[in-house]
Amino acid sequence: MQSDSATNIGVGLFILLGLGSVLFLITQTLGMNGISTGGSYIVQARFDHIGNLKVRAPVALAGVTIGRVSKIAVDPSLYRAVVEMQIDSNFDNLPVDTDASIATTGLLGGKYIELNPGIDEAVLKDRDEIELTQSAIRLENLIGKYMLNSPDKQ
Amino acid sequence: MFDGLSLDIPRGTVTAVMGPSGTGKTTLLNLITGQLNPQDGVVLFDGRVVCPCSRRRLYEVRRKMGVLFQSGALLSNLSAFENVAFPLREHTHLPEELIRQIVLMKLHSVGLRGAWRHMPSQLSGGMARRVALARALVMDPELIIYDEPFVGLDPISMGVIVRLIRQTNDALGITSIVVTHDVAEMEKLADLSYLISNGKVVAHGTPQELQRDSSDAVRQFMQGLADGPVPFHFPGPQYAEQLQEMAHA
Amino acid sequence: MNQTIRACWISFSQFASTFGGFQMFSFRLLPYLPKALLRPGLISEQIYSLGVLSLVLIMFGGLFVGLVLALQSYSTLVEFGSTDSLGAFATEALVRELGPVVAGLLFAGRAGSAVAAEVGLMRATDQIAALELMAVDPIQRIVVPRFIGGAISVPLLAAIFSAMGVLGAYLVGVHLLGVDAGAFWSQIQDRVDAYEDVGVGVLKSIVFGVSVSLMGVFEGFYAAPTAAGVSRAATRTVVITSVWILLLDFVITGLTLPEV
Repeated sequence: MQSDSATNIGVGLFILLGLGSVLFLITQTLGMNGISTGGSYIVQARFDHIGNLKVRAPVALAGVTIGRVSKIAVDPSLYRAVVEMQIDSNFDNLPVDTDASIATTGLLGGKYIELNPGIDEAVLKDRDEIELTQSAIRLENLIGKYMLNSPDKQ
Repeated sequence: MFDGLSLDIPRGTVTAVMGPSGTGKTTLLNLITGQLNPQDGVVLFDGRVVCPCSRRRLYEVRRKMGVLFQSGALLSNLSAFENVAFPLREHTHLPEELIRQIVLMKLHSVGLRGAWRHMPSQLSGGMARRVALARALVMDPELIIYDEPFVGLDPISMGVIVRLIRQTNDALGITSIVVTHDVAEMEKLADLSYLISNGKVVAHGTPQELQRDSSDAVRQFMQGLADGPVPFHFPGPQYAEQLQEMAHA
Repeated sequence: MNQTIRACWISFSQFASTFGGFQMFSFRLLPYLPKALLRPGLISEQIYSLGVLSLVLIMFGGLFVGLVLALQSYSTLVEFGSTDSLGAFATEALVRELGPVVAGLLFAGRAGSAVAAEVGLMRATDQIAALELMAVDPIQRIVVPRFIGGAISVPLLAAIFSAMGVLGAYLVGVHLLGVDAGAFWSQIQDRVDAYEDVGVGVLKSIVFGVSVSLMGVFEGFYAAPTAAGVSRAATRTVVITSVWILLLDFVITGLTLPEV
C-alpha cells in the first residue's frame, strides 16, 4: 500500500478537525448551566400553568442564572404542573418563602423561572418545595381581558 | 442453453474448449467455477460436486482454481506486485518477507519481475495478462482456466502466452482449460480439444483428430468457412417478401 | 394516453423494484459490518478518499455559506433592530439545516458519484468477478469499507461545514457589518441549544451519511457492466441521493422542531 503513512496522517487530521468542529459548536452553544462543579440540589414548585416553559430553561435569581429546569410533570391529583429545578449548590441560602414565577425573556421569547427571595430564616434544602408560585402570563388571556374590559367602559 | 453436454477434463492436460461465438463458452466456465448453477446435471471438481453449496464451500473450492480473464482484471488501484500479492495477503498470514519472495518468483516466471512497480494502467494488454497469470498462480492452484487468452495480442505476445501456458502446465503438474476460438494456437498448445456448437459437444479429441473430422460443423469451424451449419444469414423473412413489404408500407 | 399510463406504470414498477433491491442489499450488508471493523486500514483508506479529499470543497462551501448568510440576514435583522442576534440566527440555521443538508448534497455530488463510478468500473472490468473467483468476497472487501468510510466522513464534514459557516458569519457580521463581537457570541450561547440544535444537526448528518454511502455502493455494485452503465450509476446516485436528503431533512425537521 503506497503512501500509507500519508493517508493515515490525513485521516487522523481530518477526524481531529471534524471532532474539533463538533466540540467548537457545542461549547459555543452550551449556555452556562448556572451549575458549577460544586454540585446542585433539587427544588420543586407547582404551577397552575407553565406556558411554554421547557426543560433546561434557566432558573434565575435577580436575573442571574443559578440553575436549570430539570423535569416537568403533571400532578394528576391536583391538576397542576410540577416543575423540578436544579439549583447550583453555591446558592443554598434561599429562604423557604421564596416565590417562583414564570417569566418571559424579551417580549415574545421563551419562558424561564425567576426566583424572588423571601425573608424567612429557614432555607430551602434538597427536595424541598417552593410554596409561592405565579403562573405564566399568557398573551391570549391578557388580550381576552382587555377586550372584555373595553366594551364595559363605554 | 446446453443440451446433454458432457465434458471430461483429464488431470494434467491442456484442454481447449472451442466453438463459434455465442455458444456459451463463458457460461461453461461460469459453471465450472460455480458462478452459475446447472439447472440439470452436475459439475464435479476433483471428484466432488462444485455447486450448489454454501458460500464458504464455494470459496474453498475456488482456492484451488485460478482464472485468467480476457482483460486480466487486475485491481486498478494496486501495483503489479500488490496485485500478485493480493491472494496471499487475503488468504494467508504469511510474513511480509515470504510474500515478497513468492510474488517476485511468480512475476519472474512470467518474465515481469522488472515491472513489479507498475500500475495496471501502465501495462500493455499482453503484460497485464501475464501479471494476471502470475496472480492466478500465486496460490498454486490445481486447475487454471484461461478465458480467451489470445484475443488482441500481437504475434510475439501470443507466442509468449502460448509458451507460458504450456510450461506452467507441465512444470507445475496442473490442469489447464483454455477457452478460445483461435484454431492455429490451439493446435500448437492443446492435448485435447472439445468443440461446442448449438449447446452440444460436436467433436472432441486431439487437435489432429479434429483436423481429420469430416462432419460439416467441425470442418466449418476448423477451416473458417463463412457458411455452413452456422449460417451466414441472420434468420429473418425471405428477401423478396421483405422488399415487397417495405415497398407497400 | 395509454402510452403515458403505461410509461408511468413502467417507471413506477422499476422504481419499486430498485427500491426493494436496495432494501435487500442494505440488509445484506449488516452481517458484514462487525468483520469489517477488524480491517481499519481499508476503512481508513476510504475515509481518506471520501472525506479528506472533500475537505477543500466543504470548507470553502461552509465559509461562503456563512458569509452570505450573515449578509442576507443582516438586511432583515437591521429593520427590527436586532442585529445582535445575527450570530444566533446564522448559527442555528447552519447547525440545524445548512450544515447537514448542504454538506450532504456536496458529498453526494463529489464522493457519492465517485464511489458509484469506482465500484461500477470494477464491475465493468471484471474486477468484482475476479475477486469472487479469488475467493475474496467483494462485498466485504470493496463495498463495506466504502460504506463505513462514507458514513463516518459525512457527519464530520457537516460539522466542519457548520463551524466554517459560523466563522464566516463572524467575519462578515463583526468585522464587516459592525455587529458587536460580544453580543455575537453571547447570543449564540443564549439562543442556540446544544442538545436540540447541534444534536439534531448531528443526527441528520449521520442519517444523510449512511444514506449517501449506501446508495453509492448499491448503484455501483449493480451497475450495468458498460461505460454507459457506469456513468448512469454515477448520475443516478447524485440525483436519487439529493432527493432523498431533502426529503429526509423535511421529515427529521418536522419530527424534531419543538414548537410544532
